[in-house]
Amino acid sequence: MKKEPILSVRNLKTYFYTEDGIVKAVDGVDFDVYQGETLGIVGESGCGKSVTSLSILRLLDEKGKIVDGSIIMEGKDLLKLSEEKMRSIRGNDIAMIFQEPMVALNPVFTVGDQITEAIVLHQKTDEVTAKKMAVDLLRKVGIPEPEKRVDEYPHELSGGMRQRAMIAMALSCKPKILIADEPTTSLDVTIQAQIMELMKELQREYGMAIILITHDMGVIAENSDRVVVMYAGKAVEYAEVKTLFNDPKHPYTWGLLHAIPRLDIEQQRLYNIPGVVPNPLKFPKGCKFNPRCEFAEEICRREEPELKQIEENHSVRCHFWEKVEEAKRAEVGERV
Amino acid sequence: MKPFVRIENLVKYFPIRAGVFKRIVAWVKAVDNVSFDIYEGETLGLVGESGCGKTTVGMTLLRLYEPTSGRIIVEDDDTTYYFLPGIKARSYLKKTYVNKFTKMVRDSGSIDDAISSLDGVDKKYAEIFFKRANGSPQAFISILLRGREEKRKQFRKNLQIVFQDPYSSLNPRMRVKSIVGEGLITHKLAQGNKEVVEKVSKTLEDVGISSDYLYRFPHEFSGGQRQRISIARSLAVSPKLIIADEAVAALDVSIRSQVINLMRDLQAEHKLTYLFISHDLSVIKHISDRVVVMYLGKVVESAPKSILFDNPLHPYTKALMSAIPIPNPNIEKKRIILKGDVPSPINPPSGCRFHTRCPVATDICSAKEPDLVEVGPQHYVSCHLVKEGK
Repeated sequence: MKKEPILSVRNLKTYFYTEDGIVKAVDGVDFDVYQGETLGIVGESGCGKSVTSLSILRLLDEKGKIVDGSIIMEGKDLLKLSEEKMRSIRGNDIAMIFQEPMVALNPVFTVGDQITEAIVLHQKTDEVTAKKMAVDLLRKVGIPEPEKRVDEYPHELSGGMRQRAMIAMALSCKPKILIADEPTTSLDVTIQAQIMELMKELQREYGMAIILITHDMGVIAENSDRVVVMYAGKAVEYAEVKTLFNDPKHPYTWGLLHAIPRLDIEQQRLYNIPGVVPNPLKFPKGCKFNPRCEFAEEICRREEPELKQIEENHSVRCHFWEKVEEAKRAEVGERV
Repeated sequence: MKPFVRIENLVKYFPIRAGVFKRIVAWVKAVDNVSFDIYEGETLGLVGESGCGKTTVGMTLLRLYEPTSGRIIVEDDDTTYYFLPGIKARSYLKKTYVNKFTKMVRDSGSIDDAISSLDGVDKKYAEIFFKRANGSPQAFISILLRGREEKRKQFRKNLQIVFQDPYSSLNPRMRVKSIVGEGLITHKLAQGNKEVVEKVSKTLEDVGISSDYLYRFPHEFSGGQRQRISIARSLAVSPKLIIADEAVAALDVSIRSQVINLMRDLQAEHKLTYLFISHDLSVIKHISDRVVVMYLGKVVESAPKSILFDNPLHPYTKALMSAIPIPNPNIEKKRIILKGDVPSPINPPSGCRFHTRCPVATDICSAKEPDLVEVGPQHYVSCHLVKEGK
């Protein structure tokens, strides 16, 4: 029995046409999102993970263009919809929460105003009912004294409370998909734990799908079902979470997993991925990772590898993924 | 092992001013009675959430802030009065040492008894007071104040800092050579341009930056490279202690591991002592020898790394550890979720400051503040319940 994905992204390409040249921020990303599941998108800064999420909602500025690919949600290609249709999807079917709740919330309106705006717009209710719903939502996301808080301004709330208010706003129309772009990055770890727990609870209750974008491998491991690893605008590996962490096939994924200090195992020395993330205006030829890859050969510098499916639910973009695995195993021995 | 730095009862309050006359209406109790040692050659990890005062401890240790009270002893010298204006320095020395020594002699009657009952910096200063100054407060104070300019310079040379944000901590109008070389010139560690260039190049190579980049500006470098330049700047004057204040927090994963490895290599090579301040327990675990955990201006637990991570005792340490996401989906762990936010340091909770969020708090916790007590070898915990063995 195969589940139908609620959202399928295929070969998405988003380019920015800047004065300095074309920035291929997203250049070939494929993934499926299933109902009630969490898809994690992980990568370092500049890898295109945020632009991917903005492309799904078509929230790019005038320099950014989606040049290729398709984003299918329930049989409709979001890229072909009119702007008016898209507006009825944003905030209603697909909602988003951002990294910086202080920037994402409007400082001159109360929290209640900002939540009711979406409710009134999408559910065609009157203000009074909408406000009642806002109070209920705030209670649901664990804000104490919601009757009082609903009339407060964002600056009166702490960081964690603001993020909860953002979640309340995103949930106001019971979206089918929630995109969370680094939702806990600016928060302390104890608050991060609270917010992630809240999101899991709400996901169980509403059955929505979550696209979780983060740079933190730990957050990914604990909260997602499937993972896309991105590097320089491309999806380099796509797998179920356990497969990805237990059996990474792309040298970049492997490197990332061994470059992080960990609480669960003893490490003598962290693995070094040499070099830096390439400048998006001057991406290397061939495989984008080749200048930093210890397995790179002539073909890697010449030819861009395809995203190959190597087993069910596991694809990787590397010419030598088989070799990589053998070599890594030999080198590392029994690490974990 | 002897402590390189000893921080005793450090307090730092910041005033909050309001109204036309900028009266002080309240105090932010950023650091409230914190004591710990940093041993020579070790890495001490200082960990806590935002607002716990970890950065303030680092800044006060460096005297970028003046402490409200407390003592900061570096290599058996009290450095607390180094940066105070003359009158304040005198009154500090009188209050801390002269009064104490004269009272001790009055009580015990014998100078030798008084000296032998002391240790460390107190003993050293008592000897100066009784032997070199013959018990005269004036002479004692002027001995200590003599050459204060030179002492300050040594202090500044020996203690260096690397800041969190490599974008704002390098002057955008200065070239790398001037950024790294400035300290060399100030401390007269290099004479003439040729020697400065030589030493700067050497330091840059040490941190993995090509010396071809000597005359570039900070904006021409990536975040990781800038952090390397920051490290080179502090390293150039051959310091003994480097305070790394969230030095790797702003860096990407692959760059972060490069910088962490670099810092460990430099430590071995130059016999450095680190005070590593971070909110990230995984990084702290990787790099530290001993760990101090802070919460709302207080030390709640401190221990050698292996003891702390194998057997955390304070409920806050436990919660903090359980909140760290582990990059391993095979581990199912029990998570302690703390309720609520960190309270404001302007009006901290009574008793134990953690009791408002503590999952196991009892009545005594809100009534009485727990002391930091030794529960095992070098393992200190500040909690009523741990003390009772629960």
